[in-house]
Amino acid sequence: MLVKIGKWLLFILFALTITGVFVWAPLREGLGEFTRVIYFHVPAAWMAVLFFLLAAYYSYRYLQTKELLFDAYAQISNEMGILFAVLATATGSIWAKQIWHSYWNWDPRETSIFILLLIYGAYFSLRSALEQEDRRARLSAVYSLLAFVTVPFFVFIVPRIYFSLHPDPVINVQGKVNMEARQRIVFFSSLILQTVFFLWVFNIRRTQVKLKMMIRRYQETQTFKEK
Amino acid sequence: MDPLYVVLIINLIIWLGIFLYVNKTDREIKRLKKEVEELGLNSQKENR
Repeated sequence: MLVKIGKWLLFILFALTITGVFVWAPLREGLGEFTRVIYFHVPAAWMAVLFFLLAAYYSYRYLQTKELLFDAYAQISNEMGILFAVLATATGSIWAKQIWHSYWNWDPRETSIFILLLIYGAYFSLRSALEQEDRRARLSAVYSLLAFVTVPFFVFIVPRIYFSLHPDPVINVQGKVNMEARQRIVFFSSLILQTVFFLWVFNIRRTQVKLKMMIRRYQETQTFKEK
Repeated sequence: MDPLYVVLIINLIIWLGIFLYVNKTDREIKRLKKEVEELGLNSQKENR
């Protein structure tokens, strides 16, 4: 019952936030309608980092316990991480076309996310290249942990070292949020709700994988007993 | 076409896709849970 109420509450708040994005939040001078991209671009980038962090955590748990379920969780986290990294890149490109008059400029931000996409793309190549389950899980876990080491560097450090046309992060060096009150409300609602929603989606996928693995293990035990 | 409508339509398509995906996965979970119950795997876990 509580879960159902939670789901409906999330749905209603989400609908309100999306309406707020398109109707209530004021536009920024010079950006016009493209101001709205920020309400999806920043949460997407944030969630990419969050899911890559989760993948690193599950990879560590796998190496600690050798439980294949953690490897599967790490794979799901990386899938969602790369999906959000692609979404952040795509929404950023749409924005760049309007402001910089080109979809791609090899700006430090764009270059760093491109390298990050390559690094995480290689994770899936590595997985598909290995057939033996344990070996695949072990190598992928080590790779995932090493890949995560580069995330803070490419997301937070590189764009701040080199000159970038990319606007200030939402919370800038002075610790201030450069947004109008209504923009701020819609932005943080969008950020929080999208985080909660996609963590819920992640949990659904986790349950799905867990149940599938339970059934597979049961079938394997039965086959072994029959032999 | 007004950029607002373009962004709005893309947004709606993405959310519709997410909704369909979540719905499909949710149905599969229900089916898997039923299968797990039928196999008695839940009780096995509790006994352990």
